[in-house]
Amino acid sequence: MSLWGYVLRRLLQAVPVVLGVTVLVFFLIHLIPGDPARTILGNQATEQRVQLLRHEWGLDRPLPVQYGKFMDRLAHGDLGSSLFYGVNAGQLVLDRLPVTLWLIAYGAILSVLIAVPLSLLAATHHDRVHDHAVRVVPLVGLGFPAFWLGIMLLLVFALNLGRAFPVGGYGEGFFGHLHSMFLPALTVALAISPILIRSLRAALLEVLESDYVTTARSKGLPERRVLMKHALRNAAISTVSVLGVNIGFLIGGTLVIEQVYAVPGVGQLMINAIFQRDFPVVQAVTLVFSLLVVLVYLLTDVAHALLDPRVRFD
Amino acid sequence: MPRRRRALAFLATVIVLAAGGTAAAFATMSPSSTSAATPKRGGSITIARIEDSQSFDKTNVFQNESIWLAEQINEPLYLAANDGKTMRPWLATSYTKSKDGKTYTFKLRPGVKFSNGKAMTATDVKFSIDDARAQDKGWGYLDAAIKSIDAPNPSTVVFHLKYPWAPFLADIGLFSNGIIPANFAGQKRGEFYKHPIGTGPFMWDKRTVGQSVTFKRNPYYWQKGKPYLDSVTWTYVSDQNTRELQLRGGQIQVDEFPPFNSIDKLSNTNGITMKLFPSTRTDYLDINHAYPPLADRHVRRAIAYAIDRQAIIKSVLFGHGQPANSFMPPQVPYYDKNAGGLQYDLDKAKAELAKSKWPKGFKVTLQVGAGEQVENAMGQIMQQAFKKIGIDVTFKTVDTSTAFNNVQARKYQLAFSYWTMDIADPDELVTFSVDPAGGAQSFYTGYKNPKVISLSHQAQKETNKAKRAQLYSQIQRIAAADAFQGFLYYSPFRWAFTSKLHGFFVQPLGNYHLEDAWLE
Repeated sequence: MSLWGYVLRRLLQAVPVVLGVTVLVFFLIHLIPGDPARTILGNQATEQRVQLLRHEWGLDRPLPVQYGKFMDRLAHGDLGSSLFYGVNAGQLVLDRLPVTLWLIAYGAILSVLIAVPLSLLAATHHDRVHDHAVRVVPLVGLGFPAFWLGIMLLLVFALNLGRAFPVGGYGEGFFGHLHSMFLPALTVALAISPILIRSLRAALLEVLESDYVTTARSKGLPERRVLMKHALRNAAISTVSVLGVNIGFLIGGTLVIEQVYAVPGVGQLMINAIFQRDFPVVQAVTLVFSLLVVLVYLLTDVAHALLDPRVRFD
Repeated sequence: MPRRRRALAFLATVIVLAAGGTAAAFATMSPSSTSAATPKRGGSITIARIEDSQSFDKTNVFQNESIWLAEQINEPLYLAANDGKTMRPWLATSYTKSKDGKTYTFKLRPGVKFSNGKAMTATDVKFSIDDARAQDKGWGYLDAAIKSIDAPNPSTVVFHLKYPWAPFLADIGLFSNGIIPANFAGQKRGEFYKHPIGTGPFMWDKRTVGQSVTFKRNPYYWQKGKPYLDSVTWTYVSDQNTRELQLRGGQIQVDEFPPFNSIDKLSNTNGITMKLFPSTRTDYLDINHAYPPLADRHVRRAIAYAIDRQAIIKSVLFGHGQPANSFMPPQVPYYDKNAGGLQYDLDKAKAELAKSKWPKGFKVTLQVGAGEQVENAMGQIMQQAFKKIGIDVTFKTVDTSTAFNNVQARKYQLAFSYWTMDIADPDELVTFSVDPAGGAQSFYTGYKNPKVISLSHQAQKETNKAKRAQLYSQIQRIAAADAFQGFLYYSPFRWAFTSKLHGFFVQPLGNYHLEDAWLE
């Protein structure tokens, strides 16, 4: 099977998966306690007003009927209206999606920029001071909670040290995003780079012992070329999978970082929608997240295949 | 000493004294008072707040973060004064009331225009309030006393009431009765409220849902020379630490509701003004009378005696609050400082419980919101105190939305709640709190005292202020004696802002008028 055939098959397989997730989330969010009408009406929530609002939103109908209407709208590309904002739920999510994607992509790139040099340093100085330092120091990123790390980075770099970065926000324009999102992305990177470092270091140690590396060295190839062209490329195969899985976790997992840095992403939208019991927005976010996770894992497999010519698409 | 030396010595003395005096003056001068008293025109501010605005349909929205912004655009005929207790002319300059108290005639302020340049007339007023009172899902119920509205000429509006209604002027001052152009300025209702038009100091500029709202100066504003600011932007920053850092970093100019534990720190931070504004906020321990022990008046009195309010204020509010002695706060008209709300006394608590049907105590659950630090801390303090009189408290922790819904549906035993006033009249709170037919089953407690209910109905119709004061005083004293809920504390509104901002004032109702705010 060709690559494109494989991609198409995986995308088709994703459809029942995504639909299954929406069914699960639809019924779960309706079953947990809490009424959006009461939440929005606040202390003014008389029974009459609550019932009027629930009727306006169609929430007084049986759940299967509500799900039927949801699927009918979905078939026409309509994800419904936010109960809280009264605007199209799908549009709300799509407006904020680029922010979250920026955060994830920027964070992933920074994590690679941190992990690769450190892994190379550790692997080429096995069991020496450099190796021990690289294995221990990045654990800081794993040990400290993201919200604490975020506040610390803001205190140091945004409020002091020449106020090099803004205190949160998304910024405007490409370079504005690059500037404003550096600290949030760094927080993401500090969280996932320790895992990448461990994986890549272990893979490099194994690869550096292999015969073709010994052969390359004995042929007089410069060490830099041996590492970058031969060792790293082969060692990266398994680490790409690790990176892909972690990016999958980031989808929806950037919520805390979005809150701390006041980044208007989908994670923040999701948590507010859950608290407000804004069902259409929860469903819209879930649908989009499911699709993204499927796409990320698909891209991971494709990247794996491109790096390793032994991989066959069956 | 030769004359020349004496002169030099004198000059030196004068110089030293002058320098010392100047230094002392700078040392004691607060940053905000270094500026001249004359407001300066220009500049923009950003206000970071705890929640995003939901909607700008002032007639149907119940969320403060929407209401306080809508009030920058839409103004009512009369407005609550800065003390939160009296009403002052705003879009109307005066009114007269008929002898039977059922007809109010307002004279409109001349020269008032909407932000689209059109003059405001009585037709607009009639349209606005007729529309507001038709909102049965919204705030229409507060206009229930109005029978009809006439606009006999462009500058006069006449309200005909169904019955004499003492809170009428305060109700007219409610934000939902803010004046909009008739027929929604030719738009459909939904479209209009996406970017409303009004007579207020600011007009709609732009909005990014979930992020920010910006209003800009209304060039037609009727108070000449105001507003001073070019524009105001409200951003949504949910994390309190981030808001504080943004304020300290100069990214925002106003931080809404910094936590109690940062008040002292912000008060001592250069360049920042930390202000505590008297508020109508009152926090309560809701007591569900449907749970048999709590239906017993002696049990509730025992609970009220067992609440150590000072300990709560000290540990949870860091000293920034005062014990509540009434379900009404001091900033509300007719608050009775001698209402007699039961205060902490464990001996009296034990004595009350001994008189009840549960002299040996009982078990009860206290609902707290997950992640709500204040509620959890209060709960711990109460649990310890109640244990001493034999009441065994277990916590039921639920997410805040569920907690709120449980209280409204009365699926709780003890829970926390609070209130802030919407109008400068006690009627809304009193009806909500002590009248089961008031829409909330007596603040979700189920409290039913026919005497108190009768007094509240009398007070609604009593237009003599002295008599009305007596009625509300009686209501407060009976309610306190019945301990229908636990009155916890009154706390201020907390705002931190750059010391370059002046004229920023928050009313006891919680709203703020930005036409007086200016930047150095």
